[in-house]
Amino acid sequence: MIRPVAGARFAPGDAVRVRDMDKEGHVRTPDYTKGKPGRIAEILGGFPNPERLAYGGDGLPERPLYKVGFRQADLWHGYGGSPADVLFIDLYEHWLEPREHGGEEKRT
Amino acid sequence: MEKVHDMGGRREKFGPIDRSDHQVEDWERLADAVNIVLNAKGHKTTDEMRRAIESLDEYREMGYYERWAAAAELLVVEKGLLTREEIDERAAELERRWRGA
Repeated sequence: MIRPVAGARFAPGDAVRVRDMDKEGHVRTPDYTKGKPGRIAEILGGFPNPERLAYGGDGLPERPLYKVGFRQADLWHGYGGSPADVLFIDLYEHWLEPREHGGEEKRT
Repeated sequence: MEKVHDMGGRREKFGPIDRSDHQVEDWERLADAVNIVLNAKGHKTTDEMRRAIESLDEYREMGYYERWAAAAELLVVEKGLLTREEIDERAAELERRWRGA
């Protein structure tokens, strides 16, 4: 963990899905990850919310930030690379939801 | 809703990445320097800058530092550091000096 954070909802290894929602304004969550299944690789810690910082706010309280792994084949239709390829993206907790039933990542 | 900052990987839409490079020009160094100073003095943040860059209507037509310069202009006006008129007047003055008038 880069910066300590209390009360993180997810732990490394947890299956998650990126919330499939539109949000007005500045967001750091790439559109191509929305609704896609991923897995928590690491808790990076607590950071000010960039969606507020972008408009002059202080971004507090800090939000847990995670390194999330996605199979490239889950992100890109007809992905031509190795099925083992994984993309890691830093995502804030409020963009993630738990993934319990179905929707498993594509198997290699 | 897709915006400029989250279009990564859309090769089918935008074609391959243009990897050509060019000699950095003086005004580009200045644009970079002004941004560093504005950040260092607490007048704006990286996140505000990203938001301002994303808001540029002509984003796709602009070069990298053109975006930086245009976004910094938006922010200094938004924050009341300079007015649009002051910036335009100064630009016109520089233009006149450049032409030797």
